[in-house]
Amino acid sequence: MSKNLSKLSGRKGLENNLFDRLGSEAAETGTIERSTAKELADEYLMGKANIYGVTTFYDFLKPENKGKEIYVCNGSTCLLAGTQDDVYHKISEKFNADQIGHMCCLGRCHENSSFHYKGRNYSGDSINKLDEIVRNRSIFNDDYHVEYYGEQILTGLFKGPEAVRDVMRKAINMSSLQCLEEIKTSNVRGRGGAGFPAGFKLDSCRKEQDDEKYIVCNADEGDPGAFSDRYLLEHQPWSVIAGMMIAGFITGARWGVLYIRAEYPECIRVCENAVRDLVNLGLLGERILDSDFSFKLKVIKAKGAYICGEETSLLSSIEGQRAEVRVRPPYPTQKGLFQKPTVVNNVETLAAYTHIINKGGSWYRSIGTEKSSGTKLVSLDSFFNRPGMYEVNMGTPLSYVINELGGGFKTPVKAMHIGGPLGGLVPLGEIDKINMSFESFSENGFLMGHASVVSIPQDFPLIKYLEHLFEFTAAESCGKCFPCRLGSVRGMEMLRKSQNEDYKMDLELFTDLLNTMEQGSLCALGGGLPLPVKNALAHFEDELKPYFG
Amino acid sequence: MSKIAYINDEPFPFEEGVTILNFVKENKNKRAIPTLCDAPNLDPFGSCRVCSVEVALQQGGKTKTMASCHTPLTEGMYVYTDTPSVKKLRKNIVELVLTDHPLDCLTCEVNGNCELQTVAAEVGIREVRYPEGKTHLDRHKDHSHPYMTSDLSKCINCYRCVRACDEVQGQFVLTMAGRGFDSHIAKGIEQTFFESDCVSCGACAQACPTSAISDVFQSKSIAKAKTTRTICTYCGVGCNLEVATDGSNEILSIRAPYEAEANGGHTCLKGRYAFKFYNHPDRLRSPMIKNKKTGEFVEVSWDEAYTYITNELNRIKSTSGPDAIAGISSARTPNEENYLMQKFIRAVVGTNNIDCCARVCHSPTALGMQRAFGTGAATNSIHDLEYTDCILVIGANPTDAHPVTGAKIKQKFMKGVTSIVIDPRRIELAKYATYHLQLRPGTNVAMLNMMLYYVITDGLVDENFVKNRTEGFEELKEEILRIDIDALEAITGVDRNLVREATRAYATAKAAMEFHGLGVTEHSQGTFAIQLIADLAMITGNIGKPGAGVNPLRGQNNVQGAADMGAQPHQGAGYLDVTDPEVNHRYNTFYKREVPSHIGYKIPEMFDAAINGDLKALWIIGEDVVQTDPNTNKVIKAMNSVDLLVVQELFMTETAKHATVILPGASFLEKEGTFTNGERRIQRVNRVVEPLPGTKPDGQIIVDIMNRMGYEQPDYTAAGVLEEVSQIVPFFAGVKWEELGDNGKQWPVKPDGTDTKMLHTDSFKRGLGLFTYFPFQESKEIITYQKDYPYIITTNRELEHYNCGAMTRRTGNVEILTEDVLMINPDDAAKEGIADGDMVCVESPRGKVDIKAFVTDEMKPGILSSTFHFPEVMLNIITSDEHCSEALCPEYKVVSCRIRKARKTHLRKAGELEEVH
Ligand SMILES: Cc1cc2nc3c(=O)[nH]c(=O)nc-3n(C[C@H](O)[C@H](O)[C@H](O)COP(=O)(O)O)c2cc1C
Ligand code: SF4
Ligand code: SF4
Ligand code: SF4
Ligand code: SF4
Ligand code: FES
Repeated sequence: MSKNLSKLSGRKGLENNLFDRLGSEAAETGTIERSTAKELADEYLMGKANIYGVTTFYDFLKPENKGKEIYVCNGSTCLLAGTQDDVYHKISEKFNADQIGHMCCLGRCHENSSFHYKGRNYSGDSINKLDEIVRNRSIFNDDYHVEYYGEQILTGLFKGPEAVRDVMRKAINMSSLQCLEEIKTSNVRGRGGAGFPAGFKLDSCRKEQDDEKYIVCNADEGDPGAFSDRYLLEHQPWSVIAGMMIAGFITGARWGVLYIRAEYPECIRVCENAVRDLVNLGLLGERILDSDFSFKLKVIKAKGAYICGEETSLLSSIEGQRAEVRVRPPYPTQKGLFQKPTVVNNVETLAAYTHIINKGGSWYRSIGTEKSSGTKLVSLDSFFNRPGMYEVNMGTPLSYVINELGGGFKTPVKAMHIGGPLGGLVPLGEIDKINMSFESFSENGFLMGHASVVSIPQDFPLIKYLEHLFEFTAAESCGKCFPCRLGSVRGMEMLRKSQNEDYKMDLELFTDLLNTMEQGSLCALGGGLPLPVKNALAHFEDELKPYFG
Repeated sequence: MSKIAYINDEPFPFEEGVTILNFVKENKNKRAIPTLCDAPNLDPFGSCRVCSVEVALQQGGKTKTMASCHTPLTEGMYVYTDTPSVKKLRKNIVELVLTDHPLDCLTCEVNGNCELQTVAAEVGIREVRYPEGKTHLDRHKDHSHPYMTSDLSKCINCYRCVRACDEVQGQFVLTMAGRGFDSHIAKGIEQTFFESDCVSCGACAQACPTSAISDVFQSKSIAKAKTTRTICTYCGVGCNLEVATDGSNEILSIRAPYEAEANGGHTCLKGRYAFKFYNHPDRLRSPMIKNKKTGEFVEVSWDEAYTYITNELNRIKSTSGPDAIAGISSARTPNEENYLMQKFIRAVVGTNNIDCCARVCHSPTALGMQRAFGTGAATNSIHDLEYTDCILVIGANPTDAHPVTGAKIKQKFMKGVTSIVIDPRRIELAKYATYHLQLRPGTNVAMLNMMLYYVITDGLVDENFVKNRTEGFEELKEEILRIDIDALEAITGVDRNLVREATRAYATAKAAMEFHGLGVTEHSQGTFAIQLIADLAMITGNIGKPGAGVNPLRGQNNVQGAADMGAQPHQGAGYLDVTDPEVNHRYNTFYKREVPSHIGYKIPEMFDAAINGDLKALWIIGEDVVQTDPNTNKVIKAMNSVDLLVVQELFMTETAKHATVILPGASFLEKEGTFTNGERRIQRVNRVVEPLPGTKPDGQIIVDIMNRMGYEQPDYTAAGVLEEVSQIVPFFAGVKWEELGDNGKQWPVKPDGTDTKMLHTDSFKRGLGLFTYFPFQESKEIITYQKDYPYIITTNRELEHYNCGAMTRRTGNVEILTEDVLMINPDDAAKEGIADGDMVCVESPRGKVDIKAFVTDEMKPGILSSTFHFPEVMLNIITSDEHCSEALCPEYKVVSCRIRKARKTHLRKAGELEEVH
């Protein structure tokens, strides 16, 4: 991260946002041409190198993306479901190899066979209608179960600008301090993975003396297997946006950024429409509801880099910098976007704010467990009999979610990778010990994370899945810190070699590598990868033994 | 009460905000924790993770592994630096690094001085256990550039180069490109160093821990016998240099010491790389006397040369009197040599006809600031940039002319400190400034009047400061309130609202810092503009506090010192008024000779006197007046009019060509003394190599002549002369050669040796600060010639070259910037049918020059700009005789001219001139 680039980008602010410009400049050809890089560098007072460096960081800006027409999902669940060879084959009948790119997880994990064409995602049976899609740009929406068990909050009815108006009126009548108190009382913890106490984060941003502050909604849900944020953004955008406004009201921020991954084009459309409606009704902008509260909101479309989900990378990304992880402190609440105090919250966290203000902090706290209040969205993949989106009270037994809500598995499954690529690998035998709460997962040596469930079928070689995890990390590593940049590749190479060549891995070296990444990495991408790998080594020793010397 | 934290269970106090790494370094030793991505002048970055330590919140408690370089220490932390776990971690990280690094240390240019090599040894790597995998060992080397080199197969992705280029130089040439394992250093858009926007500052090469980025001098190699600290010879920033030499009098390379206060590990390409002139074949290596008949120079012995000169001087002195002799001392040479030169002219020759190049640059600053404050030098230090809330840059282009200070200012501008640039050109800083007041050249006084007007009418006067610290305010106010804003707005060409906003920003800042350069001084109203700047600083209370002040960016490395030492006709050593009987008595006693008490000639007056026959002998040290003083034809005429022209030089400059006697001097690398930089910092210049055979240090030459003319002066040593100076220059009272250390001292230096970072804190040198009003007056140049010569050309400097370029043109810099060009606005170019790169004929009432056009929107329509670094253009043929009415500083910045596409398509031969009209 460069402070200078942060500040220079900040001069143009969000109205003429550099990252957005890069996106629109690349819209035509798929990348940023040299001459454009030079013009942008002049306009933003940066070096050509900076524009070029950013361009090459993102999958959908880099020179190799030029001319790509259609993208095949290569995320974990599509891989495990084994659907993608067929998808690729069918697509390559219509497109040249250099027109076909990849996207990692389109959030269609409930039915797989996912691909992306001209700003739309397709999955399930759509691949068989490729002709029609290419010819008519037909749209096929996906369908999945949306249910709740316990309290219905996030999946409940909160619709339209009217709902936003009502909750904002309530908030404004309450004063910002009271709103903060409600959030604190609710004890809600961040849903982005780390479970950070949300009230504390809002409070520390609120305390910063600065008249320029930002609220950033982290809608870069990149964890393969997770589609809860996608669900909220597509079907509950009003509660998410209202949550951002509430966060702005509490902290004194006047700008919000909804940073949505490019792999979720429908979310972007829905949110842009919602923002437009709110602006037209005066519910976003100056002096909202005749109060002193002003708040503007910008939807920013990401450009394809998993690491942008990490909050400091995300901030650099919005600034049009390479999305490399920043050191902390300073924390984003002190020096965030454009070096200004910033709250970065997950989509689900923000949606929760809305309901907390509506119904009160004590009400929210009464749901769930002592340490994890409220409800949690769980994404179940296509291996379940009833794939979909389930809202459960925190504390609900994992086995209930799997067997009752998900209806068990279609085919035998040996483990579940829960909480994203950096979450734990939970063998089926362990599920009875666990309930849906931050503390239960961590006590058992796993991670709830974003509560996505990726099933690993009985017949899928674990060694191959581990290779996939290393490959994913190597592909998505921001490259800043040595252990992750180098370690992810060396691990991938070892795993690959042990499958394809007469080579046995040295367990000591492999363990050294895992410890090096775990202890040494700057962020939880490199630092988190060892957890599922260690889980696998511990629980599936027999299956993996042949690969070690 | 200071806080306590523990290193391996041992308690140490610490200050809030320190990182664990620095805490351990301070209390243990510098290498107690290995690091790779950390660097002394860069922000902590946290990429290598080699600096990891274990941290517990109680003794022996549960530990967490943390990177020490970017983790702030907190009260009661237990830091464990050498646990088996962190030792293993470090070793394993470095092992990973070595999986993608060539294993050919023995043939590597930095072998023995490679941080990776050192760290690998420290962590005890014996083998790389990983199977062979992907690597980046096939990257190509880059040898495209005269100075910068890269071999990125050696790169360890520590980002130090990228950060140096961003955080130190602010040039953004380097970036990481790609992502993850593919990420790699790129210059520009995958260009070579030569094609990129690199300004060759060398910060990246110095920062790089391996040889991945380096320079042609291999400055990180250990092939050196010794290193010597000295001070850069080019600009007034006064960068500390560390010069490496081999055993045999050969300079290998130059680096910048990180702990140097003046430059903190940074330099520009002139200081770091442009040193090869010192033993260039063109160096003069023997005294020479011109054969009057043939016009050829004949090599003679020192003795012959001295005899010739002494005879001539004695003859002229006895026939025409001492005032027929004059000296121009050199602001490029040390204080001690300047002191001796003025002493020689005053005490031995017996005249006050001594001046130096400060005349043509900052003489109005010295005079104007003396009038307003009592002292003609920067009020604050460059370090005050850390405390300022507003930076005002007037008539200066520091990123080219004072590059290291310029880079510091640019950092502040980029980070968004309120910033104002007043300059006719859209200079680099203007692009980053909050306000750019792009005025017409020659209208500074009008602009400053407008600003003073808005300070007063908008109620922004610092009443307290004005009341307690100043005089003359009421008179100023009365005049200012009478100015005609409409007229001044039209004259400056700058929207009054913009002026008003900028004024408000300056006046309301907690501390506002002013910098100026030759764009203020080199005008017919130069001194007045300085006094108005002083008014502006005082009226807003911006004097005598941190982060504020009036700070001239002194041009030449020792132009401050040359004036301090008395190389000016009206003030002797220490700025004492030569006409004051008491002062005269003091000098007479000190020098043990009668020194005249009437003011001598200033440089332009010397030329006039030479032409009209009053001046018969002129002695010039290290100054190419023919190429760099205005109105070349007239200067040449003056040179050719005297009986004796002694030129002490390194090279056969345009001026030397007209000499009667040439004496080969020595460069800064070959002699010792002190330079005083723009913030009054007196720093030691140490001899790095012996003078080239046949040359002599300039100070010794003067001493030789003094003795030959019957004045006993001991042989030259820096310590000896400085001792003498400290007895006569009041503000040098406590300066001792041995006590100056690496960072020097800022004058005034009290007898006990304490120095002064900031002037005028409680009272002004002159007591009260003096407000004075001056109305704008159009330059005679414009009044007389505007009709026939509608364009205004102004002069500037380029980063790569220094003044006449005698030195820089004899280094690799000339491969980077090859010629002077004419900057012209696209509209003007179109109107005159001139395309980028065309030769243009620029004609003024004095003459004409042909020069290549560079079409750029840096210029406003109607305004042109160029440099005079190259004798192939000799731009000063067209500059004028107008000068500051007070200080006689020439008006280089406002020259009326007309332009057309040239008939010739090539440049003249160096120094070749047309007939004098
Ligand atoms: C590699 C990595 C990826 C992440 N991806 C996401 C993500 O997609 N969405 C998200 O909300 N948080 C993600 N996070 C967590 C964020 O850094 C951050 O903690 C979160 O946005 C904070 O929001 P919360 O307090 O509401 O949980 C990720 C973290 C890491 C280390
Ligand atoms: S762990 Fe990986 S993604 Fe995270 S900072 Fe390091 S290199 Fe970047
Ligand atoms: S030499 Fe200076 S300008 Fe050039 S790349 Fe290195 S740091 Fe940047
Ligand atoms: S070139 Fe040198 S400084 Fe730059 S990243 Fe590579 S090793 Fe580090
Ligand atoms: S020319 Fe000036 S800025 Fe450059 S190295 Fe020398 S003193 Fe420093
Ligand atoms: S020195 Fe701390 S991470 Fe590199």
